Amino acid sequence: MADLTSIPADQLVFTDDEKKQIQTWIGRYPTADGAVMRALWMAQEKFSFLPPEVIQLVADAVGIPYAKAYGVATFYTQYFKEKKGAYVLDVCTCFSCQLCGGYDMMHYLEKKLGVHKGETTEDGLFTIQEAECLGACGSAPMLQVTNGPYVHNLTEEKIDAMVDALREGKMPAFTSVTLPQDEDDMGGNRRSDVSVVEAYSVRPVSETIK
Amino acid sequence: MPKIIIDNETLEVEDGARLLQTCLDEHLDVPHFCYHPAMSAPANCRQCLVEVGMPQMDRETRQPVIGEDGNPVIQFMPKLQTSCSMNIADGMVVKTHRTSELVKRAQKDNLEFLLINHPLDCPICDQAGHCPLQNQTYKYGPEGSRFEFRKVSKPKHVELGPRVVLDGERCINCTRCTRFTQEVSESHQLTIIERGVHNYPMTPPGVEFDEPYSMNVIDLCPVGALTSKDHRFKARIWEMSQTPSLTTTNAKGSNCTYYVKDNLVLNVTARTNMDVNEYWLADEDRLDYQKFNNDRPSGPSIGGQASTWDDAYAEAANLLRSVDGDRMLFIGSAHATTEDNYLLAKLADAVGAARPQYIPHVEPGHGDNWLRTDDRTPNAQGCERLGFAQVDAQTLKARVTSGDVSVLYVMEEDVVGSGLLEAADLAGVQVILHHYHSTNQTLPAAAVALPAAMAVETVGTFVNCDGHAQRLRPAKAIKGVNRTLAMELGKSRADKHGTPFDRWYNEDNLVDCEPGWVSIPALAAALGHDFSYKGPRAIMAELSNANPAFSGATYEAMGDNGVRLTEVGAAAL
Amino acid sequence: MASKAGDWRSYQRVILPPVKDLHQVDVYEQHGGYKALRDVLTTDAWDPASVTNEVKKSSLRGRGGAGFPTGLKWTFMPPVNPDIPRFLCCNADESEPGTFKDRQIMEYNPHLLFEGMVMAGYAMTIKTAYLYVRGEYADWITLMERELEKAYAKGYVGENIMGSGFSMDIVIHKGAGAYICGEESSLMNSLEGKRAYPRIKPPFPAQKGIWGYPTTINNVETLACVPLIIQKGGDWYASIGAQTAPGPLLYGISGHVNRPGVYEYPTGMLVTDLINDVAGGMRGGKKLKALVPGGSSTPVLRADMIDGVTMDPDGLREAGSMLGTAGMLIMDEDTDMVSFLRRITHFYHHESCGQCTPCREGTGWLEKLVTRIDEGEGNLRDLDLLIELCSQMEGRTVCALADAAAWPVRHTITRFREEFEAKCRPSLVPAGGVLANA
Repeated sequence: MADLTSIPADQLVFTDDEKKQIQTWIGRYPTADGAVMRALWMAQEKFSFLPPEVIQLVADAVGIPYAKAYGVATFYTQYFKEKKGAYVLDVCTCFSCQLCGGYDMMHYLEKKLGVHKGETTEDGLFTIQEAECLGACGSAPMLQVTNGPYVHNLTEEKIDAMVDALREGKMPAFTSVTLPQDEDDMGGNRRSDVSVVEAYSVRPVSETIK
Repeated sequence: MPKIIIDNETLEVEDGARLLQTCLDEHLDVPHFCYHPAMSAPANCRQCLVEVGMPQMDRETRQPVIGEDGNPVIQFMPKLQTSCSMNIADGMVVKTHRTSELVKRAQKDNLEFLLINHPLDCPICDQAGHCPLQNQTYKYGPEGSRFEFRKVSKPKHVELGPRVVLDGERCINCTRCTRFTQEVSESHQLTIIERGVHNYPMTPPGVEFDEPYSMNVIDLCPVGALTSKDHRFKARIWEMSQTPSLTTTNAKGSNCTYYVKDNLVLNVTARTNMDVNEYWLADEDRLDYQKFNNDRPSGPSIGGQASTWDDAYAEAANLLRSVDGDRMLFIGSAHATTEDNYLLAKLADAVGAARPQYIPHVEPGHGDNWLRTDDRTPNAQGCERLGFAQVDAQTLKARVTSGDVSVLYVMEEDVVGSGLLEAADLAGVQVILHHYHSTNQTLPAAAVALPAAMAVETVGTFVNCDGHAQRLRPAKAIKGVNRTLAMELGKSRADKHGTPFDRWYNEDNLVDCEPGWVSIPALAAALGHDFSYKGPRAIMAELSNANPAFSGATYEAMGDNGVRLTEVGAAAL
Repeated sequence: MASKAGDWRSYQRVILPPVKDLHQVDVYEQHGGYKALRDVLTTDAWDPASVTNEVKKSSLRGRGGAGFPTGLKWTFMPPVNPDIPRFLCCNADESEPGTFKDRQIMEYNPHLLFEGMVMAGYAMTIKTAYLYVRGEYADWITLMERELEKAYAKGYVGENIMGSGFSMDIVIHKGAGAYICGEESSLMNSLEGKRAYPRIKPPFPAQKGIWGYPTTINNVETLACVPLIIQKGGDWYASIGAQTAPGPLLYGISGHVNRPGVYEYPTGMLVTDLINDVAGGMRGGKKLKALVPGGSSTPVLRADMIDGVTMDPDGLREAGSMLGTAGMLIMDEDTDMVSFLRRITHFYHHESCGQCTPCREGTGWLEKLVTRIDEGEGNLRDLDLLIELCSQMEGRTVCALADAAAWPVRHTITRFREEFEAKCRPSLVPAGGVLANA
């Protein structure tokens, strides 16, 4: 198992720029410890997940004990301790999303990709995860792609399109969801600097809520 | 001094103290797990909850409001408070389970929660019998379980390091172990991993929990989550006798408790002494007990042939009578008690020989700023204060090989094993040897060999590197009847609480040996000298009077925690 | 009971005013942004104490869910000691299920937040403020970092702001997925680079906060209101909505309505107005069954309990719930309350930090019991046991997550008892189990 997931020693380094960035972060807190979360994020973006050797690298770069960094890394859901698929699909099934089709979308995704939640597809492209409330309750159901863009107002078609795009390496664009009062007062979304805009609308009826 | 009222009793207590510690100091049992006086109080086990109230103060007069019964009106805090994190304040009113149904309920509920995922391991868990979770559940907990689901599964039998084994399921997440590695030993080798009910302590991957004080977490752990790899499954706590005594691995003299079953030392744990080792032991202290059990001699011998004690004493006396004192060399020991060394000095004096020397066993670089010292003997200070000089290797070799020495008296040492002499050097020398082990390399050359009682078998005094004089108590019985030893021998739980006429007795593993304060007077008597004392207590009483370096070192003064002797410069010795 | 929101139909939005691209600093300036800050910092009209007093006058209450009076909280900071640093933390962790309002401010009006933070910093003499944003809001962190850089460039944040001599830095801190970090003492531990366990209180953040220094922690929406209060006056703010808890409020409406979304209206709106009028009524013509008014931790209200209930702390308390974050989940007649509760218990079980016994063990037990009932394998004594366990958890823990986990269980079961009983099998064994606990 270690062979498949370990980072080769010559790659297990931070570049000078990365080290400088860590120092900048350290400078923003009373002690270096405050920078560990940012450093772990940077490491995860670089190595795609956080195996123990990467956490050790972060601990050394920040200047804190390895055990401390490891305890922090295992506390949070978004830090991946195991290698995931190229795209991690965090489907929210909590509270509003539960009652507005979140589980329907998750089961659809599971059937479509042929894996259960928590698993990665054979081709290593997709991991489906069940997420807690992502703070997009009015545009339920929704999902987040690899700790990045939100995909709101999910439908089966939308999921199909998103998966197809991801297979070609195209991440979903940032979507701005228009405030209902902006629709009334301004006839639509207020932002001129986003390409994708959606409006809040009636949420789908859930077939299943578990 | 602030006054607080606990369960309707008024107490004067230390200012700034924690409420829980105050209760414990007053011998009021308040159940708890995560609190430890040496570390921070995270108040996360929630077992020590009590009701706390303060007198209601009048806003204007700044005086307590007095109620109809003439007492201050007490405003109780709306929620129960953890006594471990609460600092006492003057006028505080506290209700423990003795006077509060709410507190009783909270304690029971908390134990119920602790037990729902706790595995039913008591039949196979080392902690059984000295387990705070068992004890508190018995006293304060629910009768049975209402939990009808599968318990959370975590790694069991994980070798955290070479000496400590973790059972993740038993862990109640009190964080004493991780706090120890963060706040006390500062090795930072342990952390809690995961989140929520999947929490358990672990080393980060690739790291072993191998710091030199790792086994302290075994003492700290209130359940059987952290156990000793060495001691696992060897014996139940109630089968072993427990004796408060001292470790012998180095000159710190850390206080410990020896556990003995069937006359074999099986385990060593830390004993609290705030003046020496506080609550801790180095791992090397805990694991250095096999020497008490293994390779012990089977009895006295003359020229390698087994003999009786009386014959051995007589032969030794003959040897000492046969030459003048200036042809004798006496070597005492920093492994031996002060009393034994003192008697040896008296014997040397009686036969006209020079004052004994002692062999230093110093490993430079072994010590740290804590409980390990470069000096690997427990009583070098005792020897120094008796005026013994350190043996110089070259001088010794020269004297012995030049034929200067006819009788070499070695007490509780091994001159060949220490590399000071070779067996061939002793060819023309009559050696009288007190020895611990049958593997003693001087033994083959000994004219008379007298097995000696080791630190766990005797009563005696060690003086540690800081000048702290402390008492040994016998944990392991020896062959033969010795009233002093019998009176102080540690008892097992059954014996402590049972009838004195039915003490557990076992012939196995008893070593035919004698403490120095028995064998040396016997030998002296064979020479016609009277060294009789009423026991080692009397020896120290005399020594503390006669020698200013031991002033104050009486058994009364030493008690359980020892007494600090005045510093003595080299000149005074 | 009448609405306390006054003439809400003609309410003019101030937190999220209808201004195109207001999130961009130039537009924000044109709209009058940072002017109030200029008045505060560069004129003699405002000293730090007067800023705090204006906030107190406004009766602004924390918008993170606890509703603590903000002005009063600011006064807890100790007197300034030049040797002891002081900090402000803005809690943008927004992880309470049903809550999605702070994200609107971060996307559409971040400069209002920045301006509010600098004003709060001035009021409490603070040199460094941390904006703790949940890690899932990565895209909004990027947006705010960009806008913050521009605010720095324009001299609204940083050294010697607008030449006033007052300096304050804002550092955006990225979380990594933990609901517990929304708890203020857990947020502090997370910021310090430790495992985010909540701390025991006392000491309180103003005495010993991050790294042991005096710290004040406020929610995003709370701080966003500060420039408005300074600009238009505390009296103006206090005149909006419910008298005991006034001001504009961002209502986050989700669930089975025709028009979910975040709406800005005065506090004290009638629940029925919000559901039927503002949110366009129940979808598909279905009937309302239940409503959770302020995020998953607030007790659920049955449809027959919401008549005349207003969305303010007093109104909801009288109705048997709480305002919380005003994140309203509307549930129609087809909702299975047992399955709904099951998912909530799973949430709390997953998010419990694991530090203290009642929450770590209790949340799991609650989930297992409700799951069993939902699967049709439970029985009536499970219901009684669940209520008992709630009592065993509430008020016994380091932080309020255990309470937040227990309230939904207690009140959903109590208020929908028949529905839960219908899923249970009857049992002859009394509540408390065979081994009766006395």
